[in-house]
Amino acid sequence: MTGSWRLALLAPALVVLAIAAAQVILAMPAFGHPLSQYGATVDALVPMLRNVSNMVAAVNFDIRSIDTLGEESMLICAVTATVVLLRGHRGEGMTECAGRLPGRVWLERSDATVLMCRLAATTLFLYGVNVVLHGTVTPGGGFQGGAIAASSFVLIYLGEGYSTWRDVLHSETLAAVEGFGGFVFAMAAMVPLAFGYAAAQNVLPLGTWKDLYSGGLMVIVNAAVGVAVIGSFGVLLMEFMEETRAPKPGDEDDEDQEEGA
Amino acid sequence: MNWLVGIALLTSALSGLLVVTSRIPRRQIYAMGANGVALALLFFVLQAPDVAYSEIAVGTVIVPLLFLITLAAVAVNRARP
Amino acid sequence: MNVLAWCVAAWLLGVGIYGIVTSRHYVHLIGCMTVCQSATYVLLLGIGFRWGAGPPIFYDHPPGTPAVDPVMQALVLTDIVVGAAMTALLLAIALQVHKRRGTLDPQHLRPLRPRE
Repeated sequence: MTGSWRLALLAPALVVLAIAAAQVILAMPAFGHPLSQYGATVDALVPMLRNVSNMVAAVNFDIRSIDTLGEESMLICAVTATVVLLRGHRGEGMTECAGRLPGRVWLERSDATVLMCRLAATTLFLYGVNVVLHGTVTPGGGFQGGAIAASSFVLIYLGEGYSTWRDVLHSETLAAVEGFGGFVFAMAAMVPLAFGYAAAQNVLPLGTWKDLYSGGLMVIVNAAVGVAVIGSFGVLLMEFMEETRAPKPGDEDDEDQEEGA
Repeated sequence: MNWLVGIALLTSALSGLLVVTSRIPRRQIYAMGANGVALALLFFVLQAPDVAYSEIAVGTVIVPLLFLITLAAVAVNRARP
Repeated sequence: MNVLAWCVAAWLLGVGIYGIVTSRHYVHLIGCMTVCQSATYVLLLGIGFRWGAGPPIFYDHPPGTPAVDPVMQALVLTDIVVGAAMTALLLAIALQVHKRRGTLDPQHLRPLRPRE
């Protein structure tokens, strides 16, 4: 289909969408005056019922925790599918050196960069872990803290270069970490069932208000999500970065190209 | 407070437009980073610090980086004899 | 001001769809899809917002003070992280397309056929 055909089809579709959107916009409640009672009820009751101060974490990890378990499985499935797709073509082998584009100037990284990256990567990772641990008390939680901690892996790559990065982080370890997080979450949902409670019911002692341990089972679920998210994003970064490696002789890619030629 | 919400909404609308109109993928990555910051500020103004955290870490670091690595991998594939 | 948030959400969705349809590069197309995604974030957080209310975190201010809807925030929060993994999946598919077909332009791709 050529570009003009696409635009010709798009125009009526956008007109229909605009009319429908205008209808919906005029029927929406006024901005800033929510009608839903669910959130207001959570705000009013849950601080007393669960001894936590972060309502978002309470909704995610306790009140709607089966929902979050579904999201978590989606995350793990998406990461697994990505890894399978990327590895399907190149196999599981790892390469030592990064790929080079011909004609691209290569600059040695300065000592200042290495030092700053080492400092910042450590700080960022610890900060991410801190955000995970205080998830039930202050803004933060497994999802955010995990993403922050995983972004520190990028700084390791920037400071240490490809091969050291390879040596420090292992794809298998990160995948195991990811699976462990998912497993702990699934167990936190299932173990209460074995004792005759509802799935993911908060059966642990609730802890103290504004304390690191507050919210009972929420603490475990929160940590499990954090671990799983660190593992997921670590695996993603690692496998994508492996795509830019130097080709090895006898790689599957080369065979394919010979076939195609 | 009123105008702050308005400005944040308009900024995120504008940065979304920029992501679409920057047709060269390498430039689009910068626009995506800017969009991530604009959205994070909007979420912060809408009293959602948790979501703003998540958007800063994911929308301005990890997703643009994945796009960058993909472009690098495409370039390496293309350079391969 | 009353309808600005909904208009911005609709605008982001429309602009993203326009970008997807007219895109000539798969990586650019996936970028446009993230714009469509951000429309849902704006819509959901807009639904939960309340004028003059604080964040739903009762650390500094005691429980009972007005706060915005935490359920919407929880929905958006998980969606951002899971959406990033989905974007990665799409990028992996785009990489495979480039490896097998040698192009990332939707216009130049013929329908998939089994390899002879």
